[in-house]
Amino acid sequence: MQLESYFRTDRAARSSSVNIRWTWATAVAALVAWSLIQAGVFSGQTLINRGGWTLALSFAQAALHPQLSFEFLSLTLNATLITLGYAVCGTSLSLIIGMIGGMLSSEVWWQAMSPTRHGRGIWWTIRAGLSVPRAIHEVIWGIFFVNILGLNPLVAILAIAIPFGAITAKVFSEILDEMPRAPLRALLNNGASPFAAFFYSILPQSIPNILSYTFYRLECSIRSAAVLGVIGAGGLGYQLWLSFQSLRYDEMWTFIFALIALSGAVDIWSSQLRRRFSGRVRLEAAACQSAPLTTKPAYRRDRAVTLSLIVMAILIPLSFWYVQADFSALFAPRAAKLFVRVISDSFPPALDGVLLKELSHQTIQTFAISILAITLAGAGGLLFSFPAAQNRLTLTGVLNPQDHKVKTLLILVPTRLALLTLRAIPASVWALLLLFVLFPGVLPGALALGIYTLGILGRLMAEVIESLDERPLIALRSCGASGAQIFFYGVLPRAMPLFLSNILYRWEVCARETVIIGVVGAAGLGRVLAEQLSNFDYPGMTTTLLFFIALTVFVDVIGVFARRSMQ
Amino acid sequence: MTPALFELENVTRIFGSLRALANVSLRIEAGERVALAGPSGAGKSTLLALLNGSLLPTQGSVKVLGRETASLSPRVLREMQSQIGTIYQQFNLVDGLSVIHNVNAGRLGRWSLLKSIASLIRPLEVETASRALMQVGIAEKIYERTDSLSGGQQQRVALARVLVQNPTAILADEPISNLDPERGREIMDLLRELCGTLNKTLVVSVHAIEFARTHCHRVIGLRHGSVLFDLPAHQLTQDKIDALYKI
Repeated sequence: MQLESYFRTDRAARSSSVNIRWTWATAVAALVAWSLIQAGVFSGQTLINRGGWTLALSFAQAALHPQLSFEFLSLTLNATLITLGYAVCGTSLSLIIGMIGGMLSSEVWWQAMSPTRHGRGIWWTIRAGLSVPRAIHEVIWGIFFVNILGLNPLVAILAIAIPFGAITAKVFSEILDEMPRAPLRALLNNGASPFAAFFYSILPQSIPNILSYTFYRLECSIRSAAVLGVIGAGGLGYQLWLSFQSLRYDEMWTFIFALIALSGAVDIWSSQLRRRFSGRVRLEAAACQSAPLTTKPAYRRDRAVTLSLIVMAILIPLSFWYVQADFSALFAPRAAKLFVRVISDSFPPALDGVLLKELSHQTIQTFAISILAITLAGAGGLLFSFPAAQNRLTLTGVLNPQDHKVKTLLILVPTRLALLTLRAIPASVWALLLLFVLFPGVLPGALALGIYTLGILGRLMAEVIESLDERPLIALRSCGASGAQIFFYGVLPRAMPLFLSNILYRWEVCARETVIIGVVGAAGLGRVLAEQLSNFDYPGMTTTLLFFIALTVFVDVIGVFARRSMQ
Repeated sequence: MTPALFELENVTRIFGSLRALANVSLRIEAGERVALAGPSGAGKSTLLALLNGSLLPTQGSVKVLGRETASLSPRVLREMQSQIGTIYQQFNLVDGLSVIHNVNAGRLGRWSLLKSIASLIRPLEVETASRALMQVGIAEKIYERTDSLSGGQQQRVALARVLVQNPTAILADEPISNLDPERGREIMDLLRELCGTLNKTLVVSVHAIEFARTHCHRVIGLRHGSVLFDLPAHQLTQDKIDALYKI
């Protein structure tokens, strides 16, 4: 009888957790339906532009005949190197910002430096200060710097370095704070100076993580450098944009293939390197991985890691030289004058009723874009991540019970290539291509952002699967479970929470990235911003930017709230 | 002669350049309780993995229930594996699932895919699972999340998983090394009692050798991948133990 009562209370407990899940599922379904209505899917309005199919077809056919003349290939190589150069320069500057900012905004630094609560105020100020540059997308930073510095390579570098530096600082501070503190305490108790104690304990413990995160950031920088082409910063993105405007599809394909090759090479380099660090290393948001952070310095005596560091040490000065970044422009009186003018022109923000109404409407549309995009990316990522994960048990489990090498490659290589293609082509280019066959609006914007994000998310989710502990899977198999059963009992339940937190994090990024697809005229606040920019309407831009920041903060808050309630 | 439950003939298992087991031959009959003893790296885990078919020998033959593991198709191997229950030092449970699903995982070898998915949505065969949990003494934890349990409780869940699997033999790979001495003794007592009343064969590797004497019929000493001794448990002397662990 006692057992009976146990069951009753546990059923109640279980059903309450089921209720929370149902509430969330219903809320998500309602949001997606609402976004589809915003996109005009149910309203019967024409969404598809039938006239565009011939253009789309000739674009697709051009894939078979990319422009391969010698002069053109050398132009492509030059553009590729410039994109790589921007990414390397941007990443190295963001690393400096991230290191300093990360240390200063970590809790443990202030704990070591001023054990009294003195540092608390400074800590909060720095934390809050770093969240502003993070909320603003690279493209907006780019537009800002173009106005001050003109078309200088520095624009692309700074546009990457500043927001990425702020993101890196946040992640570094979290890494530092997650490190075991006992060694630090031991050193402090032995009378070491706080400064020395910090550099002898927390910092060396966190180096594998910081290093691997930096390489991950390099991947992101390549994509950003390509996106920044839209605002006139050189490189592959810019060339792609020019060829599109003159409808040279054969040229576009050459650039697309170059982008895939560059992005693929850097992705492989970075992921191979990250795999060398045993245990878990940090990507993206907190709690996107399962195991505790690694502190093992596995990189020591590893030739690939040493070689990579040497390559980086050569690549950084080479990149600064190749892109010809002119740092003196920063300190030129002209820049200061323009800076003052841009700022004074931008304030006070425009507050007329028509604009505010239009912006409210566009903010809602942008929100809908971000929801549809992340829904597409999340669902697609779920499908693609399992075949893309290089993990003997899970892959074998579902599709390849015999662990056949050739079969593994037949599954792995095409899925990974598909994901790579999706993320190597900037979302803005996807939007342009979709605008062949779709009328401008929420739908093409959401689709473009969605498939681009799918490329990134699919890969991150595959890495989640690869990082899962294999032992419970082995245990299930030795119970006699089949591959599919192992998948449902061992892989999915453990991967799902990590997937969800990755999806939430990417949704936050998506909300920021709607600006990219807006700039090419698809929809949303980004489009308003692009129009205001071409009319030199600075007060209006400030207002739009404020709406944009409000939207990203709103999405971040929902993200934080959702993550908390899932735990 | 009736086939032994487990029969190894000249088994060698090599990992890369490491020879984990070398020329091991032994028989284990139904109903025996066998302890595997030996220093770390002696090959105890490898031997257990060979017995449940999750590893295949590099040379020699491993027969389980009269059938050679290396010759079985994946489907038949799974059928064989559902006859062998295994519990592990690290418990190897799926953390995010509630206890009931981890216990039901023991039935997966007999369930269809459809049934196993349906059970994740609404647990099936709750009665069997709760009876197993009652036998291991944690019936009240049935709907709790597995990672919220203590180490000793998680090992009980693993034990319940083996019970619903209802295998012919139970293999245990250092089942108590992650537990405190008192929890460890409870688990060992539970293993002895369950194997005794349900007439299961038990092969357990142990770090603390006194359990070999108190809980098993027979003890096999492994050293550097070879069998150093294979004795009835009551004949285990201090000399033998010293020889097994000497540096």
